[in-house]
Amino acid sequence: MLVLQNVRKCFGDKVAVDDVSLRFEPGEFVGILGRSGAGKSTLLRTINRLTDPTSGSITWGALEITDLRGESLRSWRRRCAMIFQQFNLCPRLDVITNVLVGVVAERPLAPSLLKCFSARDRARAILELEALDMASAALQRAETLSGGQQQRVAIARAMMQEPDVLLADEPVASLDPVNTEAVMDALHQVCRQRNIPVIVNLHSLDIARRYCDRIVAISRGQVVFDDVPQRLTNDALVQIYGGSGKWSRDAAYAMEPAA
Amino acid sequence: MSEAAVERDRMAAKAAGPSWPRRLAPPLLTLLGVAILARMAVDVGFSPTRLFHGAGRLGQLVGTMVPPSSGGQFLHILSALGETLAMAFVGTLLGALAALPLGILGAKTVVSQPVLHFAFRRVLDLFRGVPALVWALILVSAFGLGPFAGVCALALADIPHLAKLFAEAIENADAKPVEGVRSTGMAPLGVVRFGLLPQVAPVMASQCLFYLESNFRHAAVLGIVGAGGIGFELEERIRVFAFSVVAFIILLYMLSVAALDTASRELRKRLA
Repeated sequence: MLVLQNVRKCFGDKVAVDDVSLRFEPGEFVGILGRSGAGKSTLLRTINRLTDPTSGSITWGALEITDLRGESLRSWRRRCAMIFQQFNLCPRLDVITNVLVGVVAERPLAPSLLKCFSARDRARAILELEALDMASAALQRAETLSGGQQQRVAIARAMMQEPDVLLADEPVASLDPVNTEAVMDALHQVCRQRNIPVIVNLHSLDIARRYCDRIVAISRGQVVFDDVPQRLTNDALVQIYGGSGKWSRDAAYAMEPAA
Repeated sequence: MSEAAVERDRMAAKAAGPSWPRRLAPPLLTLLGVAILARMAVDVGFSPTRLFHGAGRLGQLVGTMVPPSSGGQFLHILSALGETLAMAFVGTLLGALAALPLGILGAKTVVSQPVLHFAFRRVLDLFRGVPALVWALILVSAFGLGPFAGVCALALADIPHLAKLFAEAIENADAKPVEGVRSTGMAPLGVVRFGLLPQVAPVMASQCLFYLESNFRHAAVLGIVGAGGIGFELEERIRVFAFSVVAFIILLYMLSVAALDTASRELRKRLA
């Protein structure tokens, strides 16, 4: 179980994440909503420590994440995989190498640096790609793929890490509706099959309602809503996004207003 | 006066054109420039008569260049040309190898401490002021005549240039793939290997090829000050007034420079 207690992150005197306390259970699919700049990304990045929190505690079972350094911090990052809005693949490397990047942290570094991977790892990479219908692109350079395809490769890379937690920072924000569905379905499946918490930053209410078991909303760095999607009423939306609430009347199709 | 009236007066003044001192400035500055140029011409001893006499003698020299001939030393000249190419190649290679760690240290994204970064870059700037020819003159006195001094001179002259270019290639690399690799828990060396290297290696290789071209041209000049290769042969022929051989060497050299430039350009195109 992943537990955040009073997590704060300040950039200079700007508070990005303000006293956030949350618990995430195994097998839970959690959507994080909030306006641009509300602190969603920063919150996610503190969990796998791409950003260090200013104060507070993050624990995984008995493991205190905020204390980790060096080798043990890298080992946590391997267990806490992350998906990015811009996919963050290596454009000039082929797809299978991009996927195998997910396994390097667990292997002796020297052979990996020379791109010497075991036959077993290669086979696993192909299987992970196959599960996302991407095996045929294995030898193509990542930069030749469409956004939706790249995001699926990124998910395959995350699966190679055999994660205990999966974080996704706006994974579908730059994708068309068809690819959005493919990527969200894949994330949802990972959550159910591996029984791990999957935490997804979203800006579409519609998608959040369709996929999430639970929605956490953040405004100005603070948690303002934390409940099942059915409880996300008009009043709650006004609190999350501000404004008059007129835009949220037809809430099923309401989108985040441009920030 | 109302605000509108003030504005109107200002527009009227603008429409009347610039004031007298402003109108006079361009012609006066031009005159000053011409005066300075004239004074410089006197300083360098420029005179039409000298230009005329010199041109006449140059014409005679060019006359003795025709027809170009190898003087029966074709293979000897070819091997000297090969030596120059080897000097350029080894010089660029050594320079690039030494510049790589310096470039990594010089990248703001690697060494983010501003004082260190500033100091390091200024030291590189300082050494960039020393051309290969100066290094060659110093190193020929230290190591003696021959291509070894030339290779070292080329490498030393390239290091600060390539280090700066490498540093900039690293700074301009996209941070997203680097972060993606870092998020998998890979060790720093692995992050560089998979996140950074695939991005910067083609840029760096292209820059090295460009410096190889330029070094091949520089290497000939270095030969003239005693650092071996084709420049050395050229200088010997000029000294004994064997101008038909000089012409032969120059033509051969021009051809090989063009060939190397073309090959390198094609390679660089493929790297992009």
